[in-house]
Amino acid sequence: MEEIRIGVYVCWCGTNIAKMVDVEKVSEEIASLPNVALSKTYKYMCSDPGQDLIVKDIKENKLNRIVVAACSPRIHELTFRKALENAGLNPYMFEMANIREQVSWVHLDRDAATKKAKSLLAAAINKVQFHEALEKRSVEIDSKTMIIGGGVAGISAALEIANSGRQVYLIEKSDKLGGHAKNIDLTFPYFQSAQQMLAMMIKSVENNEKIEVFFNSEVDEVFGYIGNFKSTINNRELEFGNVIVATGLKSIDPTNLGNYAYNRLPDVLTSVEFEKMLQKGEILTKEGKTPKNIAVIHCVGSRNEITHEYCSRNCCMTALKFSNQIKSTLPDTNVFELYSDMRAFGKGCEELYTKTSRQGVVFLMFDQKDEMPTVVKASKGSDCSMYVIMEERLSGESVEVPADLVVLMVGVEAQEDAKKIAHAVGISMCGNDFYIEKHPKLDPVATTTDGVYIVGGCQGPKDIPDSVSQAKAAAARVLATINQGKVFVEVTTAVVNEDQCCGCQTCVNVCPYTAISYNEEKNVSYVNEILCKGCGTCGSACPSGAIASKHFTDKQIMSQIEGLMEMYIAEEAL
Amino acid sequence: MRYTINTDLKKELKSYGISEWNDCFHCGNCTAICPLTENGFLFPRKGIRQIQMGLKDKLTMNVDPWLCYYCGECSQTCPRDANPGELMMTLRRYLTSVYDWTGLSKKFYTSHKWEYGFLGFFALLVIALFAVFLPPAKAIFTNPELFINDQGGVMINSLVNGITNIEFLHFVEIGDLTMAILVALLLISNILNMYNKVILKDKSIRIPLYSYFVEAWHLLFNFVAQPKFSKCDKKNYWIGHLLLMTSYTIMFTVIVALLPKFQIEEVKPWYNWQRILGYYATFGLLFFLVYTAIGRFKKSDVKFEYSHVSDWLFLILLGLTTITGILIHIFRLTGLPVATYFTFVIHLAILVPMIVVEVPFSKWSHLAYRPFAAYFSRLKKAAYKRNHKIEIAQAA
Repeated sequence: MEEIRIGVYVCWCGTNIAKMVDVEKVSEEIASLPNVALSKTYKYMCSDPGQDLIVKDIKENKLNRIVVAACSPRIHELTFRKALENAGLNPYMFEMANIREQVSWVHLDRDAATKKAKSLLAAAINKVQFHEALEKRSVEIDSKTMIIGGGVAGISAALEIANSGRQVYLIEKSDKLGGHAKNIDLTFPYFQSAQQMLAMMIKSVENNEKIEVFFNSEVDEVFGYIGNFKSTINNRELEFGNVIVATGLKSIDPTNLGNYAYNRLPDVLTSVEFEKMLQKGEILTKEGKTPKNIAVIHCVGSRNEITHEYCSRNCCMTALKFSNQIKSTLPDTNVFELYSDMRAFGKGCEELYTKTSRQGVVFLMFDQKDEMPTVVKASKGSDCSMYVIMEERLSGESVEVPADLVVLMVGVEAQEDAKKIAHAVGISMCGNDFYIEKHPKLDPVATTTDGVYIVGGCQGPKDIPDSVSQAKAAAARVLATINQGKVFVEVTTAVVNEDQCCGCQTCVNVCPYTAISYNEEKNVSYVNEILCKGCGTCGSACPSGAIASKHFTDKQIMSQIEGLMEMYIAEEAL
Repeated sequence: MRYTINTDLKKELKSYGISEWNDCFHCGNCTAICPLTENGFLFPRKGIRQIQMGLKDKLTMNVDPWLCYYCGECSQTCPRDANPGELMMTLRRYLTSVYDWTGLSKKFYTSHKWEYGFLGFFALLVIALFAVFLPPAKAIFTNPELFINDQGGVMINSLVNGITNIEFLHFVEIGDLTMAILVALLLISNILNMYNKVILKDKSIRIPLYSYFVEAWHLLFNFVAQPKFSKCDKKNYWIGHLLLMTSYTIMFTVIVALLPKFQIEEVKPWYNWQRILGYYATFGLLFFLVYTAIGRFKKSDVKFEYSHVSDWLFLILLGLTTITGILIHIFRLTGLPVATYFTFVIHLAILVPMIVVEVPFSKWSHLAYRPFAAYFSRLKKAAYKRNHKIEIAQAA
């Protein structure tokens, strides 16, 4: 067997680490550990000269293992693996000790921090001795894409992909494309016609031969993995390499929220119903009269503990849009906006608020923690048909607002079949049944399942421009994988030792990625290495110790612990 | 107590000054900068909120606008350019019309025809009274020297045909007193109306009887010295206002209560108390008028930026009264009986309508509303503090 020669590097990270850890001391004392061929410190290991140092040492000193004590592996593990690769070494012959986030940034005692850094480094040195060379693997990508949902998001993604010449299957539950945008008259904040916009998009879909639309269709199950998915739609077997989920959301039904008298009083409408009224171009009460007073109530079903805690995001600006539309057709009608916070973020929205307030719209603030606004019938002989009773927050007064028409700005929630779709494509949902993205900041359209993307309202409340941005982002991601023709998949996967496996299927049940299946013939479990993310759940659950996780074998982890403890005991003895 | 929103309030307020009320989003900067803000009493934005919402009943109960002396710092600080200072000014005009039970004040503020018509009517009335009952003696044209006294001045009470100088003085005095009583009665009835709206209609407080006596000195103190005004950062306005107020009070007192001592045939030496007082008052009025007119013309400060018709009218009427008064004095001293007589008639034809319109119905009514507002606000605060103590006691 080849002699193990480990190169150890302790990073200063400027003063980030060096101010709390005596890096020189750590480096010196660690040099005497078995198999350590050399030990060095450097100001910034991640810099180009830092990486070059590793490459040079590997070549000159015949190093075959590298340990870097620096920041979190989340940040720079890939950087150093690349350096190993450049020096002709297998990138997995590397281990990182985190002495910044776990040491210098969180401790105040320099001596103790130095000891801890030494222990962590010893653990990494111990572990790296048992590392094995792992080979990168890739899979071919089918260039076709399935998009579930034919709303604005789904259509945008479909057009983007189809326009670069790739086939798209667009699956739509209803018999029309357009989703919720079909029911919108004008969009905020610029009052552009939603129907004109939609008509253009639908025309482009119809004229694009690369898009095949499946109307009245639903997705029951999707098999396979990135690059190689399969599903049966309307008795036709479709094969595709990527999936974009654009199933959207739905508005809530306020019937059970008793204070709004929805379905009890004739002139209480939801924002969806009012939008239809605006599309028709006539604002009238049930009796056919022009309303003299209109109350628009915000946050119906949003931002409270009874219904949903989240903000539905579009209602504030839609309500302002309503006010403008009312004032332009009925200038003498009084409009009251009953809001709990006016959320006017983003381009053109604060301007819309200012414009609306200039038109004499009355803004009345309520506190969701107080009594909620309550709609009551006005007594006979009143000037109006209803009153909205509320505790007005800015004046501290209890007031009744006259109304002939009440518009409820209903919030949005996940689709009823969100769970079904999530199960079919193998993605997860958060507590509100919206789909969870891979990373809330840095990877907002991908999911933990490779090749499956989420765009638009199914991921959370969103307006049209945000849905379109996500759709196009996902399309770009899909096109990038298609153009590469193949993608690299995780190599630190689980592997079953068939001799040891007793076929109990515990692993099959615990796997969060449905990557493990059971082979009845052999009575053993089998890991699909493309679906496996190497999370290690199966390995720790296996009662017979038959599953090992590559790069995190029992031997490697035990040696790591030993390294940690030995150094600790040695320090204590001193 | 629940209040119903009044959808017409904003339309109603339009003719009183600023008509844009929605700019304010209640950040509270005006409250923070205002030197008159007291803990627990949100000033001045409470009134703005009441208008935005259409809480008419609460607004007529609110005396805050009278406690503001318009230094304009709130308007300068306002991040939304909502102009709270001018909003308070507008509210003072509106409240004046609310307190006036005759409805004339509202007519004057909302219709120029009514205001000019009323002023014109009283001017013509004065002229007609003189023409019919107090025409000039023919001799003032033919033998003006007969009306000159030993000191070379015009004998002002002897210019009228057919009556003695004592009788003439009586006529003028009776006219003066009639006007003063009429104006006082109107003003007092409006104050009672104000009391009803501000105190009696506010069911949230009960004011103990002794408070009325304990706090009464505030009424007088505010009337005489405007102590709140002195707390504003721009002190020169307070001093200027004191100058105007004392001048005006002196003039009003000497022409109404002390007329027989003031309007005499004899020309006293310049250092005589009557003349000294007269000169002080004339200087005070002139100084204020010129200063304010230049300010309003040049818009030199926030408080002068938005001049309502009633502001200009006030300046013009007071200016003309002062100038004609000065002219009478000059013509008397230079021995010109004809000029003296006619200037005297013109002087009264401006002065009388000014007092009849301005004092009970318009800008000048603040001389009563401000001190009463301060008084009522003290009463309310006393009741509020009393309620608070009760609550604290219960909690303990």
